[in-house]
Amino acid sequence: MKRRLLMILLLALAALLQQVLPAWPLFGGMKPPILAAMVLYYALRRDNRERWIVVFVAAVLQDGLNLGSFGPALLAFPAIGIVANKVRNEVFADGLVSQLVFGAAAGLFTTFSALLIYGITGQRPVQFGESLMRLGGSFWLGMATLPLVSLSINKLEAALPKRKGYGWQ
Amino acid sequence: MLLVVVFVPIPSLTQKGKGAVRDAMAPAERGASSVWQRFAEAIAAIRGIGGAVGKNRELAHELVRIQADLNRLQDAEADNARLRRAFEFRQANSYSMIPCDVISRDISGWWNSVRIGKGRADGIGENRAVISPDGLVGRTKEVSKLTSEVLLVSDPACRVSARIARLKNGGYGLVRGAGSTLKGYPRARMEFINKDVEIKVGDEVVTSGLSSEGGLFPKGVHIGYVEKVYQDKSGLFQYAEIMPRATVGLLDYVFVVTDLRPEAQR
Repeated sequence: MKRRLLMILLLALAALLQQVLPAWPLFGGMKPPILAAMVLYYALRRDNRERWIVVFVAAVLQDGLNLGSFGPALLAFPAIGIVANKVRNEVFADGLVSQLVFGAAAGLFTTFSALLIYGITGQRPVQFGESLMRLGGSFWLGMATLPLVSLSINKLEAALPKRKGYGWQ
Repeated sequence: MLLVVVFVPIPSLTQKGKGAVRDAMAPAERGASSVWQRFAEAIAAIRGIGGAVGKNRELAHELVRIQADLNRLQDAEADNARLRRAFEFRQANSYSMIPCDVISRDISGWWNSVRIGKGRADGIGENRAVISPDGLVGRTKEVSKLTSEVLLVSDPACRVSARIARLKNGGYGLVRGAGSTLKGYPRARMEFINKDVEIKVGDEVVTSGLSSEGGLFPKGVHIGYVEKVYQDKSGLFQYAEIMPRATVGLLDYVFVVTDLRPEAQR
């Protein structure tokens, strides 16, 4: 229970941090996908119930604090969670290469789903060049964010007392 | 179910859901913003200008009020001849504003917006003009009980009726955001300007005061200066590129216009 509360608290902190960080024009104005990276982190390491808690809380936070309708994160985060859960036994979650690849994919997919929803609903103007910059930006930002997020949470969890009967972590 | 929520949004439900999330996060955002501000103030103090931070804030508020008065006086002077004949001339007065702290910024990078720490409970409604000492910042959008989202004037979804300050007759147009440059400077475009009007680079663009989407927009608030002028493809209009100065850099506090009448008349 304490770990779940800590998980939710960390998600709220991540949302605050993601808001505070500046949007970089060179990356298409995108922000580092910290919440998406956290979804990925927990989906690769935690059980089914905790994965869905993280997916739901992160998606509600990201879409709730964003302008426009609920959607981009509500669509992207469950998909990221499901895919990560499918492949979790085949990858080494703490490997740097895996994290770079997964981070980039998560960033790319989150932006792609936002593009899709904003394009279909007409909430944002979708221009080819700008969209390409946003996709590219989120690819690189995702790649940089996941290893940092993983490292931070690993360090934090290592400092906490071990949970009894909890598998490989 | 998920696809229905995503693609068939119910506005009232969305507003309630978002309002709940934002109100729940508001204290934490306020705390984070206050920590950040203290950090910035500490840095400023180290640089030797920290003692003036509080005073600076008061003066900025005063400056906005004085600018509002100045705009009123300039308009009154320009229209004096016409107004002198008016039978029931009521002197225009400066508008009422609520000062608000900016508590956070957009979370995804998809919108040019900031969140302010006052909402419906403080008398703020949707589509209200948000200004700063540097001019028009944007308009309120999605107001919850404790917070309001401000769509910056550089966002493509923000449209404001404007005019060229130098031209007393004509020079009207619609300012809409155009994102930001690669260096991070906000951009906006003034569209649908009459092709026969002569616009010069450096002309000041101000709000026209005409009602826009049912909002409250005072007349004569500075938006920016014309940087380039283009002819529309259709040949019917011209448009100008402007830089909305008030949204350059990080905003700490802004003012929401709540009533175009002065406090005494309300």
